[in-house]
Amino acid sequence: MDNPEATERRLSREQLLKLAAAAGGATLLGSRIEAGRAAVDWVNAESGRLQVLDWAGYGNDGGQAMFASYVKAHPGNKPQFTVMGNESDALAKLHAGLHPDLFRPYVGWVKYFATSGLVQPWNPKQIPNFKQLNPFMVKAGQYGGKQYGIPADWGFDAILYRSDKVHPKAKSWGLLFDDRYKGKIAWFDDLNMLVVAGLYLGHPRPWRQSNAELKKSQDFLIKKKKLARLIWSSETALWEAFGSGDIWIAYAWPNDWVQMKNKKLKVVYMRPKEKPVAWVGMFMLLKGTPRPKLAHAYVNAWSSKRSAAWLENNYGYGHANVLARPSSSDLLKALQLTNPKAVTEPAAHLDRDIPRRAVYARAWEQVKAS
Amino acid sequence: MAVAEAREPPAPRRRRGRLDLTTPTLLGLPLAWLVVFFLAPIAIVAAYSLDVYSLDPGPHSLTLQAWHDFLHSSIYLRLFWKSVKMSLAVSAIVVVLAYPLAYYLALSGTKRKYVLLLLLIAPFLTSYLLRVLAWKVILGDHGVINSFLFWTGVRSPDHPVSQLLYSRFAVMLVLGYIWLPFVALPIFVSLESLDRRLLEAASDLGASRLQAFRKITLPLSLPGVVAAFLFVFIPTLGEFITPSLVGGTSGYMYGNQIVDLFGTGFPDWQTGSVLALFLLGVVAALTVVFARFLQPGQVSAD
Repeated sequence: MDNPEATERRLSREQLLKLAAAAGGATLLGSRIEAGRAAVDWVNAESGRLQVLDWAGYGNDGGQAMFASYVKAHPGNKPQFTVMGNESDALAKLHAGLHPDLFRPYVGWVKYFATSGLVQPWNPKQIPNFKQLNPFMVKAGQYGGKQYGIPADWGFDAILYRSDKVHPKAKSWGLLFDDRYKGKIAWFDDLNMLVVAGLYLGHPRPWRQSNAELKKSQDFLIKKKKLARLIWSSETALWEAFGSGDIWIAYAWPNDWVQMKNKKLKVVYMRPKEKPVAWVGMFMLLKGTPRPKLAHAYVNAWSSKRSAAWLENNYGYGHANVLARPSSSDLLKALQLTNPKAVTEPAAHLDRDIPRRAVYARAWEQVKAS
Repeated sequence: MAVAEAREPPAPRRRRGRLDLTTPTLLGLPLAWLVVFFLAPIAIVAAYSLDVYSLDPGPHSLTLQAWHDFLHSSIYLRLFWKSVKMSLAVSAIVVVLAYPLAYYLALSGTKRKYVLLLLLIAPFLTSYLLRVLAWKVILGDHGVINSFLFWTGVRSPDHPVSQLLYSRFAVMLVLGYIWLPFVALPIFVSLESLDRRLLEAASDLGASRLQAFRKITLPLSLPGVVAAFLFVFIPTLGEFITPSLVGGTSGYMYGNQIVDLFGTGFPDWQTGSVLALFLLGVVAALTVVFARFLQPGQVSAD
C-alpha cells in the first residue's frame, strides 16, 4: 500500500514536471505569437512624419502647445508643416502635388472640399476628445451625414481700430470705406471682401449675390480701393503695419486684437451692426492618407481642453471644446464664449458655402488689379 | 609649284566610320536642360491657358476663351501697362545713375577700382528679403525719414509723409536700389574693354572730352548700356516680392496678379497662365528688338 503522503509527493513532482513543461512550451509559443504580432504591427504601423498643411502660427512657429501631447506620444512621427495662405492657396498646393495628411480649411469650404474628392470623412470614435466639442460646430463640419470637418478654432472677421486715432460714425463695416481715413485702412486679401461689401450695401444674400449685386459690390470696392493703403494676406504684415502706426483701421481677426493690445496700443475690436462674419476652423483628412491614425491622434491633441484653453488665452480665438475657458474675462466677453451659438445668428453670420466661388474670386482679383 | 604643294601641311585625316560626337555631347546637356526645365513647363502652362489641362474635373476641350477675355480686359491690360511704365522708369533711372559710377570705375585709372567694384556689389552678400525689409524701417510713417522730418519741424507727427511706404514710389525706389549693381556691372565691362587709343586719337585730332565721349565712348559702350537696361527691365516687369512687401494697394504689379491667380485667389490657373505667357511673349519680343543694339556700336567720324 502506498503511502498517501508519498503519492501526493510523487504526484506533486509529476505535476511540477508537467507544469514546467507547459510553462516552457507556453513561453516558447507565446514569444512566437508576440513576435508574430509585432511583425504584423510593424507592417501595419504608420511610418514617417505626419504632414500638416496649416495656417501660419499653428505649426512650429508658435502653435506648439496645441499639439504638444501628440508630439509626446509620437516622438517618431512629429508633424511637419506646410503653411497655407488661405483655402485657395491650400487648394492650389494640393493640385500642384502636395500630399499632406490633413489640413484646415474653414467652415465655408466644408461642402466644397467634401464634394471635391480630395478628402475623406473622419472616424470620430478615434478622437476621444470629440465628445467635448461644440455640437453646433460639429454639425457644421458634416456633409451628407459624414464628419468631414473636425471643428477646432473659431472667431470673427470684424474691424480693429485705434481708438485714440479713429472716431467711427457708426458701428459698421463702413469704417473700412470711410473717406476720412484714407491711407490708414487695411483690407484683407480674400474674396470675403465682396461678402463684406455685400453686407454693407445691404444685399440680402451676400454669399449668393446675383450678377448685378456682385458687380455693384465689385464696383464699390474698386471705387473705395484708393482708401486702403494695404491689402494684407499675412497677419505678420498686418501687425507690423498696424503696430508701427502706418495703419489705424483693419479688417482683422481676434488674434490681431490680442496682439495689438499686447503692444499697448489703444485698440477696439468692433462688432459691426451688419454683424461680423464668424468662422470655424475644420480639420480635414486627405483622401488616401498613409497616416490616418496619426492624423486622428493629432486632431485629438488639438481638441483637448488644455489645448483649447491655451489657444483662447494666447491667440484670442474661441475653441470648439466647450469645457475650455480663457483666463481673461474681457476675452470671455468679447468672444461670447459662454454662448454655444456665438458664431451664428443672431450674434454673427456664420461663413458659408459660396456656390459661385470662382466668379467671386475673379471679381476680387480684378478689384486688386484695377 | 610642285614644291610649294609638297610643303603644304597635310590635311587632317578623318577616320572612316567614326562620327565626331564632341559638339552634340557638349550641346546635348544644356539643350536637354532647356527642353525639360524651360520649354516643357512653358508648353504645360500654354496647355493650361488653352484649357487643355485644367484644375476642374470633367471634360475639357481646347478653347481660346481665356485669351479672348484677357485681351478684352481693360483691367489686366491697364495693370500690365502700369507695370511696364514702372519697370521702364526704374530701368532708365538706374542706368542713368549707374553709368557715371561705372565710367569712373572703368576709366579713371584708379588702382582701387576692383575694391570699389566689390563694395558696389557688397549688398548682394546679404539677403534680398532683408534688404527690402530694411526699407520699411526707413520709409514708414514713423521711420527714419519721417522721424527726421518731425525733428526738423518740416512735418508734424500727426501728418507724416505717408506716400513713402506702401506706394508705387516705394516699389520703384527699392527696385532701383536692388538692381543698381546689376546695371553697373555690364556697363563697367563694356567701358573697360574700350580701346583707349581711340580716345587718344580723338584728343590728338582736337576733339574735346565731351565730343570724345559723345562720338566714341558712348556709342562703344551702348551694348553694355542696353544689356544693363534689359537686366533690370525684364525681371522687374514680372516682379512680385518687392511690391508685396512695400507696394501696398497702389504698388500692386502684374507679377502679383499672376501669383495671386495661381495661389491665394481661388486658383484660376487658366487666366494665370494667359497672363504669364503674355508677359513671356512681350519680354521675348523686347529682347529680340533690343538684341540688335547689343552689337558693338559704330564710331562716327564726323
